[in-house]
Amino acid sequence: MTSETLQNTSKTFEFSFPTCTNEELLYKLEVPVQIPYDGSTRELVQRVLKMFHIPVYLEDELNEKLADFVSKETKNFHNERDAKLIDQFKNNELDVECVIKNWEKQFKENVVDFAEQKGTSDEEVFAAAYHKLVHSPALETIMQVESSYAKTVMNMLKNRDEDIQKLTQKQTEEMEEKMRLLNVSTTEEEINALAAQHFEQQSLAAGRWDSQLDALRHTQRATHRAWLMTAINEYQTDERVTPSTSPLSALPPEPLAPLAPRLEESFTIHLGSQLKQTHNIRLVAVDMMDLCSGDRADGGAWSRVQPALALYSSELSGAVLCADARVRSPQLRAATEHHFADLDAQLRRIAEAVEEPAGRRNAQREGGARARRALQPGDVFVTRHSNLAEAHVVFHLVVDDDSLKSGDITSRHPAILGLRNILKAACCNDVTSIAIPLLLRHELTEEMTAAWCMRRAELVLKCVKGFVLEASGGGGAALRTLTAALPAAISPALFAALGALLPTIFRVSGPVRARPQPE
Amino acid sequence: MHEDESCKFAACTFFAKNHPGESCGSNGLPLTPSSITILGRSQRLLTIEHTNLCTYLDIIRGKHERIIVVAEVIGKSLAEYSSKFSYEEIINISLQVTNAMMFLHKQEITHRTLSDDNILLDSSGRVKLFNYGMYYMTNEGNEVPFPLGLPRYLSPETILNGGGPAADVWTFGIILLELCIGKLWKNIKPGPTLRRILTLVHANNPAERIAREHDCLEAYKEIPETVRNLIEKCLKIYPSERATFEELIEDLSKINSKTLEDIKQPRGLMGCKLQYLYYWWQLTGGDIQAELKKNGLIKNSPPILSMPIAILLDGGTIGGKTGALFDRRIAKYSLDLLKNRLSHIPPQDFYPLMHERRKDYDAVALPKIIRERDTEYQFYRLLWFQRLLHGYPYTTQYIRTEAEIDIPPLERGDVWAALLGVVGDIEDQYERIDKETPTPTDRQIDVDIPRCHQYCWLLCGSAGHRTLKRLLKAWLLTNPQYVYWQGLDSLTAPFLYLNFCNEARAFACLSAFVPKFLHKFFLKDNSAVIKEYLAKFWQMTAFHEPELATHLHDINFVPELFAIPWFLTMFSHVFPLHKIVHLWDALLVEGPSLPLFMGVGILRQLRDTLLDSGFNECILLFSDLPEIDIGECVKESIDMCRISPRSISYRRFTNEPEMKDPMDIVEVPLDVLLSETCSRISLADFFSLTCQDKCCVVDIRSNLLYEKSCIEGSINVPYSGVHLGQHELKSLGAHPNKVLTEAIRQKKIIVVASAEDETAQLFSDYLVKCGVSRVCVLHGGVSALHTHVPSLFGVPKKTAHK
Repeated sequence: MTSETLQNTSKTFEFSFPTCTNEELLYKLEVPVQIPYDGSTRELVQRVLKMFHIPVYLEDELNEKLADFVSKETKNFHNERDAKLIDQFKNNELDVECVIKNWEKQFKENVVDFAEQKGTSDEEVFAAAYHKLVHSPALETIMQVESSYAKTVMNMLKNRDEDIQKLTQKQTEEMEEKMRLLNVSTTEEEINALAAQHFEQQSLAAGRWDSQLDALRHTQRATHRAWLMTAINEYQTDERVTPSTSPLSALPPEPLAPLAPRLEESFTIHLGSQLKQTHNIRLVAVDMMDLCSGDRADGGAWSRVQPALALYSSELSGAVLCADARVRSPQLRAATEHHFADLDAQLRRIAEAVEEPAGRRNAQREGGARARRALQPGDVFVTRHSNLAEAHVVFHLVVDDDSLKSGDITSRHPAILGLRNILKAACCNDVTSIAIPLLLRHELTEEMTAAWCMRRAELVLKCVKGFVLEASGGGGAALRTLTAALPAAISPALFAALGALLPTIFRVSGPVRARPQPE
Repeated sequence: MHEDESCKFAACTFFAKNHPGESCGSNGLPLTPSSITILGRSQRLLTIEHTNLCTYLDIIRGKHERIIVVAEVIGKSLAEYSSKFSYEEIINISLQVTNAMMFLHKQEITHRTLSDDNILLDSSGRVKLFNYGMYYMTNEGNEVPFPLGLPRYLSPETILNGGGPAADVWTFGIILLELCIGKLWKNIKPGPTLRRILTLVHANNPAERIAREHDCLEAYKEIPETVRNLIEKCLKIYPSERATFEELIEDLSKINSKTLEDIKQPRGLMGCKLQYLYYWWQLTGGDIQAELKKNGLIKNSPPILSMPIAILLDGGTIGGKTGALFDRRIAKYSLDLLKNRLSHIPPQDFYPLMHERRKDYDAVALPKIIRERDTEYQFYRLLWFQRLLHGYPYTTQYIRTEAEIDIPPLERGDVWAALLGVVGDIEDQYERIDKETPTPTDRQIDVDIPRCHQYCWLLCGSAGHRTLKRLLKAWLLTNPQYVYWQGLDSLTAPFLYLNFCNEARAFACLSAFVPKFLHKFFLKDNSAVIKEYLAKFWQMTAFHEPELATHLHDINFVPELFAIPWFLTMFSHVFPLHKIVHLWDALLVEGPSLPLFMGVGILRQLRDTLLDSGFNECILLFSDLPEIDIGECVKESIDMCRISPRSISYRRFTNEPEMKDPMDIVEVPLDVLLSETCSRISLADFFSLTCQDKCCVVDIRSNLLYEKSCIEGSINVPYSGVHLGQHELKSLGAHPNKVLTEAIRQKKIIVVASAEDETAQLFSDYLVKCGVSRVCVLHGGVSALHTHVPSLFGVPKKTAHK
C-alpha cells in the first residue's frame, strides 16, 4: 500500500502588510512551512507573530491566510504527486504488473473476503475436541486410558532395557571368555570378528525394539485419536452421555506414592516501579530432565491431569533446556505423543527449517570455519509435547558449555540473550509458566563453587527481572510462574543461600499481617 | 421496533502489524508496538461528533496486538439493502455522505475505506458513516499488515501507491454510480478489478466507460443528468480535476428535494449520551470480546498449535503464527442487558433536579472501587454530574460537595478541571504558547518522558510522548520563575491521561494545580520549600504516629531520604495512574494540607514493617515502595486531616494570603521549625478546641505560676520535675497520668502550654517519645494566650488534687 512514505516538501509562505506610516511600503514576511503540515497552523501564527514582532491586529488575517495557504499547498502536494504517478503510468514508466501483483497478494493473504477459503485444520479440530473432552466428565476416563498407554510403553521400554542389558552381559561374558583364551585357542582376528558380531547383535536388538516401540506408539496414537473423535461426537449429540466406554476397561485408581522430597521454596514478587505486577518465583533443586520427563514414575494417571487440561488453553507451561548446536533429542523417556509429531520428527523438521535462515545469518556473520548452517549459541529451537510432566513447550537453548563454565559471563552473553528471546516468545505465545536452569547448567561440576553459583544466579536473576519487565510490555500473556531450577545435587546450604539471594533482587511481597481493628 | 434498530453500537477487530525481530528505534529504545500507536492516534477519533458520523466509543487493545474498535451503529449498511433506491433517495443519501466527508476533510482525516458496507442508513433515511477512521488511526495503513479499502473502490492513483484526500471523491463517485446502476465488478478478483480501474486512465469519461463495460450504458444514460454530472465530476482521473466535497454539497443541495423528518429525541434511557450507555452497559457485564467471539471475529486457536519452531539469537523467529486475516465484518450489540438492569428506574430519575433533595444510595457506604463498578450507582452519579457540569462555573460549589463523595471515572477530567477552577478560553491561551522552539531543557525532557508511566498504553505511544513534551515545554515557558525538576513529567502525566485529546485543558489543569499544591516547589533553589514541607510532614507523623516517628528518629531515617519524590510529584511518581486518580480526587477536594497526611497514611500502612526495620531495611523498603492500599490511605489521611487543627499544618510557602491576625499566626523561622518535633497550634484553633472540649492542656510552668493563674481545665506538670529519660507517663505522677490517659482515650488533642518555647518543645518531644498521639504546642505559650484571650484563665481548683 503506501510502502513509500510521503516525502514532505517545504513551501514558503509569503505575507506582506503595509507599515503604519507609509501605505506604499510593505513589510514582507517569508516563512518556510513543511507540507503536509502536521501541527496547528494557528500555533505557527503565534510563533511567527512573536518571532517577527508583527502587530497583533494582523493575527486574524494571518490565521486565515496561513490556514488557506497550508490547505491549498497540501492539496497541491497530493494532487501533483498523484498526477505525476498517473502520467508515469500513462507513459508506461511504472512496473504496473508488480504493483498489481503486490496488491493481489496483500488482499489474498490478509483479508478474509479475498482469501482462499480454508477450513479448520485437522489439528485444530482435534485440539478443540480434546480440550472439550478433558473439560468434561470424560476426563477421568481419558486420563486412565492415557495412563495405561503410557504404562504399556514404559513396560516395553523396561523390557527393552532389560533385554539389551542381558545381551550386553552375555556378550561381555563371551568376550571375556574369548579374551582369556587369547593366544591359547583364539586369535585376534577371531576376537575382532566377535566384536563386530556383537556390535551387529546390539544394533539389531536396538533396531528391533525401536521398531516395536514405534509400532506400538503408532497404534496407540491412532487408536486413541480415533476413540477421542468418536467420543466427542457422542458427547456432542448427547451431553448427558459420558464417554466412559473406552476401548480399555477402566482401571482402578492407583494409590499415589509420596514423591521424594526435594528442596523447594516459593516467593511472590512484585515487579515494576509504579504499576506492580505480581509473579511467582519457585526455586527448586531438581533435574531439569525430571521436569521434562515422561511421567513421574509414581504419579499415576493424575499427574497428567494438569498438563492435559492446559494443553490447548492459553496458559501453557514451558521449560528451558540447554542443548548443544546439533538439533537432537535430549534423552527424554516419554510415553506416546498423542498430539504432536514425535520428538524425532519434530527435530528433523526443525533441522530442515533452520538450515536456510541460520545459514544466511551465519554467512552474514562471517561464520568462517564454523558449521555454516548450524544453529549458534544463543539460538533456540522449540519442541511441543503433550506427554511431559511439567512442560508443554520445551525451549532448547543452544549453548557453548565451555564458555558457560567460566565464572564471569556478562549480561551480553549469548545464553542470556537467548533467554531473553525465550521469555519474549513465551509472552507472545501464552506460555505463562516457565522453568529455567538458574545456573544455565544442568549438572553440578567441580568448578561450580558456592561463590560461582551465587554469582551466576545473581546475574541470571537480574537479567530475567529485566526481561520479564520488558516482555510484559509487549502485550502478550503475563508470565505467572517462573521456576528457577538448580541441579538436584545442590547442597542444602547453598540452596538456602540462593533462597536468601532472591529477596535482595526482587521485591518480595511481605507476609500478610493481621491489623488490629480499631475499636 | 426492527431488530437491527435496537443495536446502538458495534465492534470490529483487527491485528496491528508486528515489528519483525529485534528492531530498535533511533533512540535505542525498543520500537513502540503498532497497537500502541493505533491506540494513541485513535484517541482523537473518540472526540469527533457529527450527525452523519458514527461516534467512536472505545478503542481497546487486546492481547497479542489485537485492536477492537467500538462505535455507534444505526440501521443497516447500503450493502445490506437489497432494493434499489429512488433518485430522490440517492441524492439525499449522497448529500448526507458528502456532509460527513467534508467534515472529515476539514479535520484533515482521509477516509480511504469508504464503501457501501460502512455507509449506514436507518429506516428514517438518516445516514452515518461507520468506522471512518481506519486510515487515520493506522497511520495511513502503516501500522496494520493488511491493505485498507476494497479493490473496487480504490482510485487509480491509490492503486499506484499514491492517493490523498481526493481519492475519497473518486470512491464516493463509484459508490454513487453503484447506487444508480448496481454493483460494479461483481465476482471479479482483486487483481483484475485493479487492472480494469487502471485502464480507465486512458478513458475520456471513466464513468461512461465503466457503464459500458458493465453493459449498462442504457441505464447510465437514464440517470438524471444532474446526478450523472456529479458522478462524472467525481470520476476524473486527475485528482486536481475532481470536484471537492464542498462543491458536491453545493450541487447536491440544489437538487435535493427530500427533507428528513425530525426524529423526536427519545426520552429516558435511550436519550442518554451514547458514551454513558456504553459505559453502563460495560458495568452491567457487557462484554465486547464475547460477542466478537460468538460471531467468529475472534478465533482462539490454541497457542500451542502456533508455537514458533526456532528463535535465532537476533530475535528472528522461524515458523509459528501466521497473521490472522482481516475480517471486515462487524458485531452488533444490543442494549437489552442494560435496559433490563435499569428497568426499575422511574422516568423522573433520568432528569435529576439540582435543587431537589436527592435520595441516598445504598452503595455510598461501599469502598470507592466497588462504587465505580456499580451500574446503578454510576447511572445516578453520571447523570447528576452531567447536570452539574453543565452549569459550571456557576455550580462549582455543588461540584465540590459531590466530589467529596466520589467522582465518576468517566467524567473525571471535567470534574478535575472544575475543581481546579479552569475557566475561560483555554484553547486560545494554550495556542499562544510556543511549544516547538527548542530550549536547553528539551534534552532532559526527552530522557525522562520514555520513563514516565510507560505501563499506561496511552502515555507510552508516540502521541503521548509528543503531547507530554508539549505540555511540559508550555508550562516551563509560562512559568519562567520555575525550572524543570525531574518529576514534573510524572506530575503532568495524570492530567494528560485524563485529557488526552484536550491538551489545552490538561495544561490549564496543570497550571492551576501547581500554585495550589506545589507553590515554589519548582524554583531553581527549592531547598527551603522542600525542607519546610518535610519538617511539617515529620511533625504530622509525630502528631499522628508518635511511636513510628520516634523509631524513625532513633534510626535516623529522615524524610529527606524518601519523601521528596512523594511531595514534589504529589505521589504521582510513586503510584500507578489508577491509584493517583483516587489520591488526587481527595487532594483536589480537601486542599493543600492533605498531602502531608497522605504521607503519614503511607507510613501508617507500612507501620509494622518499619517498626521492625533498621536504617538499611528502611532504605531498601522505600527504594521500591510496596503495594499501598490507596482507598485505605485516602480515607485515613482525610480523617487525620480533619481532626488536625488547621494551624498545625501551616506552611509559610503557600499560595494563600499571609496570616495577619495574631490569633492565627504560628509561623516560626525555618531553623526553629526544623528543630521542633511537634507543631504549634494557633491561639484561634486552641480557642475553638477548648470551646468544644476537644483538648487537654498540659501547663508545664512552675507550680507557683500555675497556682496564680492558669488556663481553665489545664493540668500542671512542672517541667523542672520531669525526668526526660523515663519514657513513661506514670513517672509524671498519678494525677497527670490519669488525666492524660483519659484524654488519649477520648482522642483529645494534647496542648502543651509553657512560658518559654524551649521547654515546651522538650516536653512535647518527651510526650511523643512516650507514645502520646496528637501532641502540639501552644504558639506563644501561656503569656500570649493570656494577652489575647484572658477569659480562658482562672485559678486552679484545689479539690482536683485530692
